[in-house]
Amino acid sequence: MKFSYNWLQSLLEKPLPPAVELGDLITFHSAEIEELIDVAGDTVLDVKVLPDKSAWLMSHRGLAKEIAVITKNTLKADPFLNPVSLNSDERIKVELKTPACDFYSAALITGVKVGPSPDWLKERLVALGQRSINNIVDATNYVMFEIGQPLHAFDADKLSHEGGHHIVVRQASEGEKITTLTGEEYELSVSDALIVDGGNNVPVGIAGVKGGAVAAVDAGTTNILLESAHFDRFAVRKTAKTLKLQTDASKRYENGICRAIAPIALTRVIELILEVAGGTTEVVTAVGDVSVERQPVTVTLSEINSLLGVNLTMRDVEDILNRFAYTYTTDGDTITVTPPFERDDLVIAEDVVEEIGRIYGLGHIVSIPPMVGAVAEVNVRHYYSEKIREALMALGFSEVYTSSFRNKDVVKLENALATDKGYLRSSLVENLREARTSNVPHRDLLGLNAVKIFEIGTVFGAESEEFRVGLAVQTGTSYKAKVDDTLLEEALAALATTLGVTLTFISKEEGIVEFSLDTLLPQLPVVTAYEPAAELPKITYRPFSLYPAVSRDIAMWVPEAVMAGAVEEILAANAGPLCVRLTHVDTFSKDGKTSLAFRLVFQSNEKTLTDEEVQGYMDTLYKTVADQGWEAR
Amino acid sequence: METPLGHKHPLSQVIAEINSIFAEIGFTFAEGPERELVAFNFDALNVPKDHPSRDMQDTFYLADKPDVVMRTHTSPVQVRHMKSHTPPIKMICPGKVFRNEATDATHEAQFFQIEGLMIDTDVSLGHMKGVLEYFFSRFFGGEVQVRFRPSFFPFVEPGVEVDMMIAHSPDNKLSGRWIEIMGAGMVHPNVLEASGIDSTKYQGFAFGMGMDRLAVLKYGIDDIRLMYNGDLRFTNQF
Repeated sequence: MKFSYNWLQSLLEKPLPPAVELGDLITFHSAEIEELIDVAGDTVLDVKVLPDKSAWLMSHRGLAKEIAVITKNTLKADPFLNPVSLNSDERIKVELKTPACDFYSAALITGVKVGPSPDWLKERLVALGQRSINNIVDATNYVMFEIGQPLHAFDADKLSHEGGHHIVVRQASEGEKITTLTGEEYELSVSDALIVDGGNNVPVGIAGVKGGAVAAVDAGTTNILLESAHFDRFAVRKTAKTLKLQTDASKRYENGICRAIAPIALTRVIELILEVAGGTTEVVTAVGDVSVERQPVTVTLSEINSLLGVNLTMRDVEDILNRFAYTYTTDGDTITVTPPFERDDLVIAEDVVEEIGRIYGLGHIVSIPPMVGAVAEVNVRHYYSEKIREALMALGFSEVYTSSFRNKDVVKLENALATDKGYLRSSLVENLREARTSNVPHRDLLGLNAVKIFEIGTVFGAESEEFRVGLAVQTGTSYKAKVDDTLLEEALAALATTLGVTLTFISKEEGIVEFSLDTLLPQLPVVTAYEPAAELPKITYRPFSLYPAVSRDIAMWVPEAVMAGAVEEILAANAGPLCVRLTHVDTFSKDGKTSLAFRLVFQSNEKTLTDEEVQGYMDTLYKTVADQGWEAR
Repeated sequence: METPLGHKHPLSQVIAEINSIFAEIGFTFAEGPERELVAFNFDALNVPKDHPSRDMQDTFYLADKPDVVMRTHTSPVQVRHMKSHTPPIKMICPGKVFRNEATDATHEAQFFQIEGLMIDTDVSLGHMKGVLEYFFSRFFGGEVQVRFRPSFFPFVEPGVEVDMMIAHSPDNKLSGRWIEIMGAGMVHPNVLEASGIDSTKYQGFAFGMGMDRLAVLKYGIDDIRLMYNGDLRFTNQF
């Protein structure tokens, strides 16, 4: 939520610290500041209000109170210190016909003069990114941003009022429609609650979400009916979500704003409207209960110190409680706090510990270094997974992690992200096949003569899940049993040796094999300690080109005395900037000459290379070879 | 051509390093199912029945099984571990988790998390700070400082956000600045009780972070999706 620095200052006795410093204090004692935004003559603090504090911190009063506690400042006037009690007045009839509303207060003000808001009011709202509409609407928004309570103003003359106004809060009927203030039409269902004009049963607002167009305040409005009500957080959340209509009002109800704030806000908005738009308060009424009883929370000093890892005294704790102005009693080292009505987040001892900790400062927590000691149990699956990885890597296999989702398999997801990800994989085989295929074109680029990959991962049966190991091999552009199976058998033999068991395969075809790791583990020797981790070189990932790589071979006769390494160096120096790999692939000697063959891979980070471009680089190399007196073949 | 050595996936490398660092200080490596009961994934973790994270738009549910989800965090492993062990408990649980969200360079619908848990009669946020500083110092190399900010997660109270700073070193781009790295806190008594631990006797901390993020920070990976598509142009750099 956005907060105005100037507004916060106006609520506090003493000067605030500069905005950046204030932002840090809020971040380390209350809630994270996402951004400080400079606006004309003000600074806006964008605060990521935490979910447990959203019922009371989504208002300038809420944050000003936090700042007062954190910086030992004082609120000039805390509206919450004077609970308001309103009585029912039959001149406005209010009927609550749904559990979605437990309190509804209203006021009729006549003779208002609708017009632009005074500059100070406009500035406050504009700083928060709000549009100034007129003095009436602005006043309701202002009070919401000030103390957190959503409010609404109806044009009282657009509501039926013969024999007095009549407001009904009820559930919508299926398919009932309403056009909101901003002109959009919504179709409602029986789970949505409505504010209805009791005189004609016409919906005039979506309860807790948005007002209707039918009774909107406009330039010609002279009499207004104000609403300050409390709606059920879950009901509002459901409606706002279904209608995809999240508003400043719905957010506050969803977060469980305390109902005792509603009558305070009505009193406050009446006062403000009389100030900025004139008029006379004719009727104020309220229906429902706003009483809130907070249960006392007991915590001991030793619990506070033991959970936080600090050494506070009773005096330190009491100092913080006094800064909050909490009602509390002490008995020895036991403290009993009765939370103020707006605080629904102080329920258990740990909640109070958090209050103390964050105000004292989590920065005071001192590290307690851990004790070195052996583990109680070794994770056998991890231990042997590492063994399998090492054995396979030694034979040139690289590890892949693939998706747990498939387009069609045994176990179906209720809510898939995409149609091709609707099921859980029951095997690693298909994923490995796809990964193998997609890597085949990169063999030259990677300097590989074969794609050899493996995965260790979870697969899902109808009821069970297990860890499996899968291997896939492919040398050419398609699977060739003779070559590929030889490489695969070599790997399987190495695994059998490493693990000291005979492997049983779930499947083994076309160069892809899969076996269950979980079935294998009980057959393996018991492990009592991990092996020390190897020291590894520091690796920094480099983004790779997404454009295709192009391979070219060059072969030549050189005198027997010329070493392949020397030739490679000369080729590398002349291959141009787009040669990303140069591999010596073949050597043989005949008649006192040596034939050397090299494979070059060209790739650009900016485009797909054409044959002509690559040929240009190759021509340079052929010239280099000729200049050396070697004979290209 | 001679056979080059194969390459270990960076996430396997990260898991191995994490395990080896935590094993030195007696933390065991626990695991649990990726397809998890709502009872363990949400209920036992004090996540309210109406909490948005339970929505279908955030969590994958299984068809015709409203009480089964793809775990959204590895926290249910903590619950299972507490149910089957008695304190003192020191454990980590790296593993794959699932979130029903659109993917981009920093988000995947399936990714890896690492969580940790330490329970005893007197475990405090001070112990957590010490354990995390030890871990990050070993993992990133160099001296790492940790700081806490107030935060909120249903399964802990107090809850904190953890930032770390690697001591300045000219050849380390990550060093000398605070980096937001994980969420953590003191295990909520409701979670202890739901896991069969007497919350009047025992207390402890829990933390959790994205393992992908650790890999991103350590190796400078620019797109986490590369970790899950089997592309050797990625894996073979490690």
